[in-house]
Amino acid sequence: MDYFVGIISIVISGILTNNIVLNQSIGICPFLGVSKKTQSAVGMGLAVTFVITVASCVCWALYTFVLDPLSIGYLSTIVFILVIASLVQMLDIVLKKLSPALYGSLGVYLALITTNCAVLGTANSVISQGLDFFQTLMTGVSIGIGFTLALILMAGIREKQELYDVPRPFVGFPLALITAGIMAMAFYGFAGLSFT
Amino acid sequence: MEIFLNVIVPILIVAVLSALFAFCLSYLGDKFTVERDPRIDDIERNLSGANCGGCGYAGCSQFAEALFKGEADISRCNPTSAENKKNIAKILGMSAADSVETVAVVHCAGGNRAADKYDYQGFGDCQSAQILAGGSKACEYGCMGMCTCVHSCPNGSAHICKDTGAAEVARETCISCGACVAACPKKLIGRIPKTARVYIACSNTTKGREVTSVCKVGCIACGKCEKTCPKGAIALSNNLAAIDYSKCIGCMKCAAECPRKCIVPIGDGVKLYEKILAAKKLAAEKAKTETK
Repeated sequence: MDYFVGIISIVISGILTNNIVLNQSIGICPFLGVSKKTQSAVGMGLAVTFVITVASCVCWALYTFVLDPLSIGYLSTIVFILVIASLVQMLDIVLKKLSPALYGSLGVYLALITTNCAVLGTANSVISQGLDFFQTLMTGVSIGIGFTLALILMAGIREKQELYDVPRPFVGFPLALITAGIMAMAFYGFAGLSFT
Repeated sequence: MEIFLNVIVPILIVAVLSALFAFCLSYLGDKFTVERDPRIDDIERNLSGANCGGCGYAGCSQFAEALFKGEADISRCNPTSAENKKNIAKILGMSAADSVETVAVVHCAGGNRAADKYDYQGFGDCQSAQILAGGSKACEYGCMGMCTCVHSCPNGSAHICKDTGAAEVARETCISCGACVAACPKKLIGRIPKTARVYIACSNTTKGREVTSVCKVGCIACGKCEKTCPKGAIALSNNLAAIDYSKCIGCMKCAAECPRKCIVPIGDGVKLYEKILAAKKLAAEKAKTETK
C-alpha cells in the first residue's frame, strides 16, 4: 500500500509539485524556444516524454547492473550522455522508416532533444534517489507529462500575447521570460500537495 | 592490480558501451534506410535554398520532393536563377518553359499625399486598421503605411518610403516570393516582370472626380497614356490604367505624359524617364524664348 502511495506521490510531484521546468528550472531552452505554437509544443512535449521515459529506464539499468557493481558510479554522467545521444539517434532512424508522418511533425525537435538537459537531469535524479525500476518508469513518464504541460501552457499564453499591444522593450523574449517567471510562481501553489 | 581496476575497467566499460551503441546504430541505420531518389537531392541542390516559402511548401527540400513527384511546377519558385531552373527541368526530363523573372511592386504611391480618413492609434498593423471602417486612408485603395508587408518580407526588401509614406519594394533584393502580395489586406502589391520599366502606382477603380478628392497622385483615368502609347500596351479598364507588359517597349512616353505622375518609372526606366523630362523642359524653354 505504501508503495502504491509512493507511486502516486511520484506522479503528482513529477507533473505538478516538482515540475521539471517551472520548479527545477531544467530544460528551459526548449521551453522558451519551442513554445511559440501550441501544435509544435505538443509535438515537442510528446517526443521529450518518450525519450525521457526510455532514457531514464536504460540509464537506471546501466547504473544498477553495470556501473554500481563495479563501483564506477562517477562515470554516470558520461555514460548517460552516451545513452541519450544514441537513443535519440536510434529513435530518429526508426521513426523515419516506420512513421514518416510523425517524423515529419517532430522533425527538428527530435534532434534537439539530444541536448535537452531535462533528460539527463531526470536520469541523474532517478539514480540519486535510489528508486527501483517501476518507480523510475513512472518518474520518467510523469516528468515528461509535466514538461509537456508546461510547454503547452506557455505556448497557449504566448499565442495570445502575439495579439497584444506590448511595450516595445518587452516584445519577444523579455515578455516570455516574465511570463515564465509568473508561471513558475503560480506552480509554487502546488508546493503543499503531498501524499506522504 | 588496483591500478588495473581503477583505470582499465572504466575505460573498458565506456569503450564497450560505445561500441555497443555504435553497432546498434549502424545496424538500425542499415535496416531502416529510407530509399530516397538521388534526383531529389540534385533538384534541391539546384534550388536557391532561400527557404522563403513563396511556393507554398515548408521549404526548398519539400518543394524539391513535390517537384519530383510532379505535384508542383518550377515556375512557382522565383529566387532560383533561370539557369538552375533549366538544370532542374533537365533532371525532371521536361523542357523548361521560359518563366519570366518577376519583382513585387506596390500599386499605390499615395501615402502622405492621400488624405486620411481618421487618425488610427490602435495596434499598428494594416490588418487591424483595415477592419476599422475599411482602413485609415480616405482612399479605399490607398496604402496605409502600417508595415504589414514589411513584417511579412523574409529578407527586408519591403519598406516604407520616407518621402511618400507608402510601402515600397527594393527591387535589387526582392526575391518575388509573394509573401507581401498575400499579406497586404488591400491587395495593393502585385508582381511584374523584372524587365518592366514602368508600373501603375495606383489601384483606385473609382471615377476621376472621386480620386482627386482623396489623393494627389491617384489615377483619374484621363486616358492620356492610352493615347500616347505607340504600341497600344496601356488600356483603361475599370477607371484605371493597366499595362500589358508583353507589348510594352519601355519608351517611357506614358510616364512623361501622365498628369498625375502615377505611372512610375522603375529599374532601367528611371534614367530614360529623367532624360525625357530634361528634353521636354529644354523644348519648353526654347519655345518660350522663341515666342518672346
